[in-house]
Amino acid sequence: MTKWGMVIDLDKCTGCQACSTACQMENNRLPGENYQDVLYYTDRSQPTPKLVWFPRPCMHCEEPSCMHVCPTKATFKTEEGVVLVDWNKCIGCKYCMIACPYGVRFYTDEKPVIEPNVKDVFPGTGDLSWNPPYKGPQQDNAHGVGIQPHGVVSKCTFCYHKISKAPKGTSDLSNEDPALREYVPACVRTCAPTARYFGDLDNPNSEVSRLISDRDGARLLEHTGNKPQVYYLGRSAVVPGFKKS
Amino acid sequence: MSTITNLAPDQASISRISNLRLMVGVTGLVLGLLAGIGLLSGGHATFNTSSLLTWGLPVSTYVFFVLTSTGLTFVASLAMVFGLKDFYPVAKRCVWGAVVTLVIGFISLGLEIGNPIRMLWVIPTNMAVTSPLWWMGLFYLTYAILLFWKFHLINQGDWSSQLSKLVGIASFVAVIFAHATLGSVFGMMAMRPFWYGPMVPVYFLITAFLSGLAFIMLFINLDYGVNQSNMSEGAARAMSRQLPAIFAIVLGLVIVFTIAKTMTGLWTNVPENKIVTQHIASSFLFQFELWIGMVLPFLLMLTAKRHEAKTQVVAGGLVIIALFIGRYEYVVGGQLVPMFKGAWADGLIDYTPSLTEIGIVVLAVSIGILLYAFGDKRLSLSDQPNA
Amino acid sequence: MDKPTMKVTRRRFLQASGTAAGAAGAAIGTGQLVGLKPIGEAQAQQASGQTVVNKSICGQCPARCGIDIYTTDGRVHAIYGSNDHPIANGKLCPKGHLGTYILYDPDRFKGPMKRTNPNKGRNEDPKFVPISWDEAFKTVADRLNALRDKGESHRFGLFFGRGWGASDVGVNIAPFGKLYGSPNAPIGHSSICSDGSVLAKQCTDGNASYSSYDYRNANYLLIFGANFLEAFRPYNNNMQVWGHIRRDKTPRTSVTYVDVHMNQTAAAADRALLVKPGTDGALALAIAHVILTEGLWERSFVGDFTDGQNRFKTGQTIEPDSFTEKWTNGLAQWWNTELKDRTPKWAEAITTIPADLIVKTAREFGTTRPAIALFERGAHNHSNGVLNGMAIHSLNALVGSLFAEGGLAYQMGPAYGPAPADPADYMDDYAKNGPHKKMPRIDLQGHEDGYLMAKNMIQEVGTNHLAGKPYKLDTALFYMTNPCFSTPKAKDWEEALKSMFVIATSPFPDETSMMADLILPDTTYIERWQDAPTYPFQGWPLAQLRTPAVKPLYDVKTFGDTLIGIGKLIKGPTGEYYKKVESVENILRHLAKGFEANPGDNGVKDFEGWKAKGCWYKKPYHWRQVRGEFFEWDGKGWNKPMSPDQVKAKLMPTASGKFEFVSSYMEKKKDWVLKATGRDPAKYNMPHWEPPKYTGSGDLHFITPKTAMHAEGRSANLPHAITLFQPANGGNKQSLAELHPSVAKAKGIKSGDRIKIKSDLGEIFAIAKVTELTRPDTLVLPFEHGHWAGGRWSKGRGSHVDEITPAQSDRISGMANYYTGKVSVEKA
Repeated sequence: MTKWGMVIDLDKCTGCQACSTACQMENNRLPGENYQDVLYYTDRSQPTPKLVWFPRPCMHCEEPSCMHVCPTKATFKTEEGVVLVDWNKCIGCKYCMIACPYGVRFYTDEKPVIEPNVKDVFPGTGDLSWNPPYKGPQQDNAHGVGIQPHGVVSKCTFCYHKISKAPKGTSDLSNEDPALREYVPACVRTCAPTARYFGDLDNPNSEVSRLISDRDGARLLEHTGNKPQVYYLGRSAVVPGFKKS
Repeated sequence: MSTITNLAPDQASISRISNLRLMVGVTGLVLGLLAGIGLLSGGHATFNTSSLLTWGLPVSTYVFFVLTSTGLTFVASLAMVFGLKDFYPVAKRCVWGAVVTLVIGFISLGLEIGNPIRMLWVIPTNMAVTSPLWWMGLFYLTYAILLFWKFHLINQGDWSSQLSKLVGIASFVAVIFAHATLGSVFGMMAMRPFWYGPMVPVYFLITAFLSGLAFIMLFINLDYGVNQSNMSEGAARAMSRQLPAIFAIVLGLVIVFTIAKTMTGLWTNVPENKIVTQHIASSFLFQFELWIGMVLPFLLMLTAKRHEAKTQVVAGGLVIIALFIGRYEYVVGGQLVPMFKGAWADGLIDYTPSLTEIGIVVLAVSIGILLYAFGDKRLSLSDQPNA
Repeated sequence: MDKPTMKVTRRRFLQASGTAAGAAGAAIGTGQLVGLKPIGEAQAQQASGQTVVNKSICGQCPARCGIDIYTTDGRVHAIYGSNDHPIANGKLCPKGHLGTYILYDPDRFKGPMKRTNPNKGRNEDPKFVPISWDEAFKTVADRLNALRDKGESHRFGLFFGRGWGASDVGVNIAPFGKLYGSPNAPIGHSSICSDGSVLAKQCTDGNASYSSYDYRNANYLLIFGANFLEAFRPYNNNMQVWGHIRRDKTPRTSVTYVDVHMNQTAAAADRALLVKPGTDGALALAIAHVILTEGLWERSFVGDFTDGQNRFKTGQTIEPDSFTEKWTNGLAQWWNTELKDRTPKWAEAITTIPADLIVKTAREFGTTRPAIALFERGAHNHSNGVLNGMAIHSLNALVGSLFAEGGLAYQMGPAYGPAPADPADYMDDYAKNGPHKKMPRIDLQGHEDGYLMAKNMIQEVGTNHLAGKPYKLDTALFYMTNPCFSTPKAKDWEEALKSMFVIATSPFPDETSMMADLILPDTTYIERWQDAPTYPFQGWPLAQLRTPAVKPLYDVKTFGDTLIGIGKLIKGPTGEYYKKVESVENILRHLAKGFEANPGDNGVKDFEGWKAKGCWYKKPYHWRQVRGEFFEWDGKGWNKPMSPDQVKAKLMPTASGKFEFVSSYMEKKKDWVLKATGRDPAKYNMPHWEPPKYTGSGDLHFITPKTAMHAEGRSANLPHAITLFQPANGGNKQSLAELHPSVAKAKGIKSGDRIKIKSDLGEIFAIAKVTELTRPDTLVLPFEHGHWAGGRWSKGRGSHVDEITPAQSDRISGMANYYTGKVSVEKA
C-alpha cells in the first residue's frame, strides 16, 4: 500500500514562499491562511545575527493527534496515509486545532488577517463560505477539498484532489515526469530549488525513502509521538524554541 | 415537611434580592443578546479567537460552569449519596444549581461550536472512542439526563426511593467521569506543556468542588436575604457550621494547588510553561485571583465570622471570581505560545475576548440567573426530605 | 485562442458607469477611485467543465517565466511554471502564482474613462465618466495633432516602465516618437531601475547591458546587494540554480553575500558581510588588492609580470612596463594610482567589515574558479554607484570570468522576422526636420546641463517640468510606470501631473490614474498577446510569447493596440504606418517568420508553433573564453578561435577591445565628467574609492529594498501577497520598518509601535520591527506599500518611502540614489 510522504531539504530551501502561494492558488486559501507556511526565526545579534526558516505543510502524521481527539471522526486518515477533514462531519469544536502540535489547522470563520475581508468582496452562497472568481473546479467536502463551508476546520490535504488520481503504485510524484505532473502537490510541483520531494514512504526504493536514508531525514517533535510523514533534510531541522521578543 | 411555616422576619430583604436578581437577569439577557448579536451577523469571525489561539472566553466559561455544576452535585451528593443528612436542607438548591450551571456551560459551548446541531447525529453515529472530547460529551450528557431526572424526582418529593437513590448515585458517578474526561481533554496535551499532566483531572476535581461550595456560599445566602435566620434550622446549621469548614479546607487545598502549579511553572525550563507562568503570575488578574480571590477568603474563613452570611457572601463571591479568572488563565494560558507561526507571531499571543464573546457569556449567565430565579420562585428549592 | 473584444456592450458600459458612480458616491473627499462592490457574475462565463491549459509568460517581473494558465469554465484558477520554458522549467517564484488574483482584482478599471473634475490633487475626486474607445482615441489624437500643427510635438511624452527588446509592449514604442516627432517618446524608467550596473559594464567591458550568468557552472559567487534569493532576476531560475549549486552539484558552490541587513540570501549564503551602506566599492577594491598582492589573479586572462614574479606589494607602485596585459587594459595604472593602498585594514575602517573576513573572502574568490562577482542596486544606488560597480566588475576580470564557462557574458537577441512596416518609410519632413529635432529631452538625458551619460532620467521630469527647464510638457502618456509614486522626491512628479494632460493606461487604479485626464485601461497579462525576448539570462537567444487565456474581463485594450489605435489617427504618414502595423497579433505573426530560417531547439519554426510552446530558443551562447583564448561556436562546439578584432567587435566593444580598468568610454567625456563630479583627474575613469554623498541630516541610513513578494509594483493590492510580504519580520499586514534594538532602546520604541521617519523632505509613518537583522546605523523599510491612491487593499496601507527619499542621482549613470538618504526616527 502506498503511504504518501514528503521530504523537504532545508539545504536547498530558499524560503521564497512559492510553496505557500502555489498552495493558496491551488486550494483557494484566504490571505494569510497558509495551509503551507514558511516560518522565519531570528536569533543572536549584530553583526552576526542568525536567520533561519522552516517550510511547514501538514505533517500527515502516522499517529495524528488531531484525528485521535476528533469527537466525530471528521478527521480521518486515508488508506494512503493522508490526513483529511470530512467537512460533512466536522462540528467545528476546534479540538483538533488545539491538539495539532504543528499548528497547521484553520477554522473557516476567523477574523481576516487583513481588511477588507476577501470573503465580503467575493461572497459565497450555500455551502461555500466565499466564492472568488479564481476558484478552482475541485470541490469535495467529504475530503476537505475546495472552499470550506462555514463552521468547519480545514487543513493541507497533500493536494488530495491531485495525488488521489495518480496511477496506483507510483513511487514518486515529481514535476520532472510529464505524465505525472498533474498529480503532484502544488507546493512540490512549483518548488524552484527542488527542495521538496513527494513519494511513497513504504516503497524502499522511492526517492523519498532513499533521501531519508542517505541524508538522515528527521521528523519534527518526535517526543509528541505523532510520527510525521514529512521528513526534513539538511541544516538544523529543528525549530527554535520560543523566546520572549 | 419541616419547612419554616412562619414568615421570616426579613422577608423584605429576600424579595429585594430576588427582585434585584430578576433585574440583573433581564438586563443581562438584553445586554447579552445585544452584544452577542454579532454572532448572527458576522459569525465566529466576530470572535477574537483564531488559529493562533483557538479556544477563548466561551470555552473557559464552559469549563467554569460545568465544573461548578460538578461541584454542586458533589455537595448535593454529600446528603444524597453519602448519607450526610446535615446537607439535605441545601441539597435541592444544589441540584437545581447544578442543572442551571450545566445549562449555562452548554449554552456557552454551543454558541462557540461551528455546527452544534450537526453534533446531534455525527457524534452518536461515529463513535469516536479515541477522543476525550467524545467521552466528555457522553458523560456530561449522561450526567445531564440523570441530573434532570434526579431533580424531577426530588421535585416530586421522591428523595429516597430506590430509584431516586440510584439516579443520585449514577449522576454522581457520571459527573466524576465527566469532569475527569474534561480534565483529560487538557491534561493529555503533551504538545502543550502548560496543560499537560496526569494530575489535571484531580485538579479539576478539587477546583470543581470549591466552585460548587463557593456558589453555595454566595447564592444560598442571597436566596435567604443574606440572613441565616431566614433559613430553616437545618439549612442554617449546614450553612453556618459544616459548609464553611469544608469550604475553607477545599479553598486551602486549591491555594496549595495554585501555588504549586505556579512554582513548578516558574522553575521549569520549558518555555511554553515557564514564560506563560511568568506572564500570568505577573499579571494583575493573577495577583487578584490569588490574594483577593483566594487567600483573603481563606483568612476570612479562619475567623469566627465564617459562620455569618455576610462573610460567606463576600468569600463565596471572591472565590467565584478567582475561579473564573483561573479557568480563563488556564484555558488561554495553554495556547499563549504560538505554535509553528515563526515571525508571523513571535511574541506571546495577544488575546482579549471580543464583545461577541463577552456577550455570549453574559447571555448564558443571564439565562442561568433567570432559570435559577424561576426555580427559586416556583420549585420550592428549600424543600428537604422529611426527617 | 480568444481574441480581445473591442466592443462596448451595454453590460460593459453599465459596469464602467457603475464603478464610476460608486467612486463618486464613496469617494467625496477621499479621492477613492473605485467603488467597494462585490464582483460576481462579471466573471461568470459559459460552462463546459473542460480545463484548458494556455501557454503564456508571467508579467510580474522582467524575468518572463513561461507559464501554464489553467482555465475551467471560463475561470482562470491556476498558474504553474511551464515545463516547456527554459527559465521556468515547470517552476515559479512566489509571485508567479498570484496571477489569478491580478486578473480578478476587483478594483480593475472596467473601461475607458475621462475626467470631469478639472481640479487635480490627492483629495480631488476625478469624477471619471465612461467613454467609448473611439472617443478616447480621438481625444488623444486631436491633442497630439494640434501640438504637431503648432510645432510643439516635443511637448508630448510617453513614459514606460516594463519593456524589453524589439517589440517592448507588443508593439515597438520607439517609432511612435520618431514618426510623430518627440524626443520624449519614449522615456524609459531604467534610471530608477538599475542603470548603475549598465553604466558600470559599459565603462569597463563596453557592453551597455545587464549580464548573462552561468551560475550552474560557477564554483564561487560573490554577490553585492543583488538579493539573489528575494529580488534578483530571474528570481525563479536563480532559485533553481541555488538548489543545484548548493546541493546537487559537486563540488558545492560557495557563496559570500554582501548587504546592509540580514535577509534570505545573506542567511542562506556561507558568509554574510553586513556592510555599511554605499561602501561596497571599498570592499571590492580591498578584495582586488588582496588578489593582486597574493598573486591570485588569472594570468591567462589578465596577463603577468614579464618575469613571472609578483611585484604587487602594498603601498608600492610597479613599473608599468613590467606587466604584460592580455585581455585587460590599465592594470598597472590602476594599481599605482588607486589599488596599492586599498588594504583590507583600510577597507575595514570604511565598510565596518573586519579585515580578516575581507582577506578570507578575497582568497576564496581568488582561488576558486570559475567565480562570479555580481552586484545590483544595493551597490550602485549611491552617488559613487558606477565606481562601486566598476570595482566589483573588475573582480570578474581579475579572475578571468568574462565569457568563461561558469562566468558571465551578455545576451543574444532572437531571430525575429521584420516588423510589418519599417518606420523609416513613413517619416515626413516634420518627423525628419521639425522643431522637435532641436529640443533636448525633458529629462535632460544626454545633455550637458543634465546627465550626459545617462540612459534615461525619468526622476528628473517632474522637477524639470515644474521649473519649465528645458520646457513644459503638454501631454503625457504612461505605460507600466507610476513615477509620481516611485521616483525619489515623488511629490515633484505629482505636482507636475497637475499641469499636464495625463493619459493613464494601468488596468488598476494608481496615483497616476488619480491625476489622469484619460484612463485607457490596459489588459492584464493573462488577457493579452505580447512577445518578449528574454531578459539577460544565459546568453543564448530566447523569445517567449504571451497568449490570452481568457477574453478581457472588461472593456479594456492591450496597450500595444491602444498605441496603434492612437497612431492610426495621427495625421500624415504616421497614421499610415500604424494602419500597416494593424495590431499586436499582426506584429507577432511577422516576428515569428524569422523562426522559419532559424527553428528553435524545441522545434518552433512559425507562429502556430510559438503559440503552442510559448517560446522559441536556440542554444548555445555562441562565444566562450577558455583560459585566455576566445572561441566562437561553429555549430558543433566552440572551435573557431577569435581574433582580437573579432573579440572587440562581438564581445568587448571598448576602445582597446579589452576589459578596461581605465575606462576609455569615460575618457571620451572627460571634461564633462570632471566638471560634473569634481573627481580627481588622475583616477576619475578607473574604479576608485569615493565616499558616498549621504543626503539629509538624520543618523540612520534609510534603505528601502525590494522584497520577494514585490511583483514589480503589482502585488500592492493583492491581499494574498500582502499577508506574505515580509516573512523574516512578520510583515503580513504591511511593510515594517526594521530597527536595531540599540536604536529602538534609545528612542523608546518597541516592535509594533508606530514611528515617524524624518528626512529633509518630510516625514512618513511606519510600524516598527525591532530586530537584530539590521545594522545599528541603518533603518530598513521595503518599498511597495504606502499608496495614497489605489485599490481597496493597497490604498493607505503602509509607508510611502519615496516621499522622503531625496532626489540625488549618480552623475555618471543617472541612477537614482534610493539608498543614500539619512533619516531620524522617533516614536509617533
